[in-house]
Amino acid sequence: MSSCDNPNVEQDSLMTRRKKYDGKTKACVKCKENTGHVVIRHAVYCKSCFFPLIEARFKKSLEPTINSSGPRRKTLKAAGSLVIGFSGGIGSRTLLDLVAKTYYAPREVDEEKLRGGTNHPRNKEQGVWTGKPIVCFVDTSSAFSNTSLVEEARIIVESYPGVFDFRPILLEDAFDQDWWRKVGGDLSESASGLGLDITDQDLRLSYASTSTSECSPQTALRAYLASLPTRTAFYNAIQTLTRVLLLQTAASENASHLLLGTSLTSLSVNLISGIAQGAGFSVAEEAIEEWTPEPGCGMKLKVVRPLRDVGMKECAMWTYWHNLNVIPSLNAVENNGRNAIHTLTRDFIFGLETDYPATVSTIARTCAKLAPKETPSGVCLLCQRPTHAEVQAWKAQISIRTYHDAASAVSGNTRPPHLTENEIASLTKKTQDDLSTSSNTLTPFLCYACHTTLTSRSSRGTTLTLPPGISPTNIPIPRWITQPMALSPQRSNFLNADGEVFQSLKQTPEDLKSRIEGFILSDE
Amino acid sequence: MPPKICVLCEKSKAMVKRPKTGQIVCRDCFFYVFETEVHNTIVQSKLFNPGDRVAIGASGGKDSTVLAYVMKTLNERYQYGLELFLLSIDEGITGYRDDSLETVKRNQEQYDMPLKILSYDELYGWTMDAIVSQVGRKNNCTFCGVFRRQALDRGAAMLGVDHIVTGHNADDIAETVLMNIMRGDIARLGRCTAICTQGEDTIRRSKPFKYAYEKEIVMYAHFKKLDYFSTECIYSPDAYRGHARAFLKDLEAARPSAIIDIIHSGEAFEVREEIKATQKIQQTCQRCGYMSSNTLCKACTLLEGLERGMANSGITDKARKKLDAAGPTPDNIRTIPFFKPPSGSPAVTIDVPL
Repeated sequence: MSSCDNPNVEQDSLMTRRKKYDGKTKACVKCKENTGHVVIRHAVYCKSCFFPLIEARFKKSLEPTINSSGPRRKTLKAAGSLVIGFSGGIGSRTLLDLVAKTYYAPREVDEEKLRGGTNHPRNKEQGVWTGKPIVCFVDTSSAFSNTSLVEEARIIVESYPGVFDFRPILLEDAFDQDWWRKVGGDLSESASGLGLDITDQDLRLSYASTSTSECSPQTALRAYLASLPTRTAFYNAIQTLTRVLLLQTAASENASHLLLGTSLTSLSVNLISGIAQGAGFSVAEEAIEEWTPEPGCGMKLKVVRPLRDVGMKECAMWTYWHNLNVIPSLNAVENNGRNAIHTLTRDFIFGLETDYPATVSTIARTCAKLAPKETPSGVCLLCQRPTHAEVQAWKAQISIRTYHDAASAVSGNTRPPHLTENEIASLTKKTQDDLSTSSNTLTPFLCYACHTTLTSRSSRGTTLTLPPGISPTNIPIPRWITQPMALSPQRSNFLNADGEVFQSLKQTPEDLKSRIEGFILSDE
Repeated sequence: MPPKICVLCEKSKAMVKRPKTGQIVCRDCFFYVFETEVHNTIVQSKLFNPGDRVAIGASGGKDSTVLAYVMKTLNERYQYGLELFLLSIDEGITGYRDDSLETVKRNQEQYDMPLKILSYDELYGWTMDAIVSQVGRKNNCTFCGVFRRQALDRGAAMLGVDHIVTGHNADDIAETVLMNIMRGDIARLGRCTAICTQGEDTIRRSKPFKYAYEKEIVMYAHFKKLDYFSTECIYSPDAYRGHARAFLKDLEAARPSAIIDIIHSGEAFEVREEIKATQKIQQTCQRCGYMSSNTLCKACTLLEGLERGMANSGITDKARKKLDAAGPTPDNIRTIPFFKPPSGSPAVTIDVPL
């Protein structure tokens, strides 16, 4: 097939595929002398023009974000330190190399020509960021029961001697009280027993004094992932945990910038995947975001993706021509993620990039023109991204899941016509009883996408089982959720200083009457 | 194994698993929630006022047939006070539209609604059969889509209606959100999730099935035994939409809520103000008076290309330049009659069921 590759379409109705490159010759479009080596979005570049092109795009995306707001300065000077999120993939490998070569390569100086000598403040080498940059590698092997790739990552990072500090993070750290203390959080023993009742559509929070609080972080991680309703949720949860672990670590290092190696292709995948999972409100955050940690836990952090204008193919060419090693993706992601939205989107976008490279950049450019329709009402406790109010009201408005609302219309034409008034009354009463005990839920603190991740089901669920000793009614939750939930006004409904559990239950007149029944004398 | 019980009424045997919620429900509860959700959409979006004259865009397919049935049901149940009409466009596709129009004519009798059929031939002097014979199958959907939009408005103006409702469902809207992002159509992306659109001088156009899953519409038609026409258009292949549709089906299979999640995403964002300022201002076509972003509307541009034997002039810039180079528009070509906004009373004779 020569074109759009849609098997349902007849041949003569297809768009013809555009030529691979526009020029009539294979000469480089930049220097116009050398023979081209690579085609980037229909333009041919030679090897020697390719490297400055990528460096220029990298700097163009990163440098406007470096100086903290204020008067324009000639020199680049960030407010804090630098943290780089490193996955070992092509994008982050290219990012690491570009950062090392652009900002940490030793300068060649002719000491004789320097005015004032090498120790003069003018000639003293001043880094853009304070301190030594930290490279964080989030090890996700526990989620897939795979071999850890930390050592491979360490070798790569240490191949730049003295440039970076290597900081491995485990995915299960998200459930580790010790890690949480290290990054600045503090958690009372009682609050650590908070868990999630995943069997409850309202995501009720529960308290367990033993199992959840005592299980290892690895078991807690596995329990959390196994409790998720779909494969989409499984992979989304890993992405979210990784992202927030990086944010919290960066904040604890007093970093002003967190750099991620998201290429243009990966950005497009994330954008479409996010939209397909209901994260449209925070679509702009995918390209560039600012995160404010809890007071006293660090400075405002800019999350920058400096390769957002560089495609996956260009990153691959960069690593290939510089002979850089990359860490292969975890096999588990490749094989088991086929029915996850992120993986489906990735396959779709990668397919598009092969034949229609412009479409991939169009997606990113289009999404860059979007902004949230409403002012954010807060930050989602799980993903730490802006959220807006009335998420639940919207969900309830578009689909009827109970007959609760039929109560007001029990005798009108809006009630279910096939049910009697008594039947509706009993269904309605039951629903109200459910509501009265579901006040302690995580739902109001989540954005639409995170709530959907935890609640939306599919016939193709995950095949994972809960670790022994973990109850589905008390699933461990990440530490950054436990603390604010324990400290929120809801705490009054939950825990006192001694860790005792309190719950407020709405009581009906019938309930009250039954309590005092023995004390009321009958009229007879 | 005992039969599964409906999770809503907790008494009847469950008959369907709702694609939208994943709940297993009985037939009666399914009818009730499907209809009530459409009613909620209509009420919360304040789509109608009592006494409105509303045309239902009817193609004879499942979506518009269910829409006509549900609109009639809700109008009677909740006393909307609407005057309902069926409005069909005959694109002139032999073996497809002629058959589906027979279904619409039966619907007219079944639902006791007046019907108006407006043909491309009558309006533009071209049938889709004739257009395809000149342009081939490639790009023919561009002609059909542009001509149909204008034809519906013109048909509605002839009927003197205030409002057109179409059978676009949640799947169609989610697909359009994805497509507009992928092709960078920022203007359409900004408005494609709106339940009701209205340009200057044009009639309000709404999608009451905005949150209704296509699968549920099919289920509803099946259980209600509605009479609808189920053949795909013989010229239908739209390669780009085909891609988006196949992708959406994969997403839905992975997680059924994906459709509604995409719509929620589309509703949650908007085009940045500074980008909006750079978009073209809506004006009226100098030739036919219909709304347009250029001096000539798309339908007039396409029609001129057809009339002058250069059909691609409305599709590619290169062909447009070739058309311009061929000289000014001749006086003897057919043009679209000047658009008259609705006056409130029908300007044409309509078929009323006996």
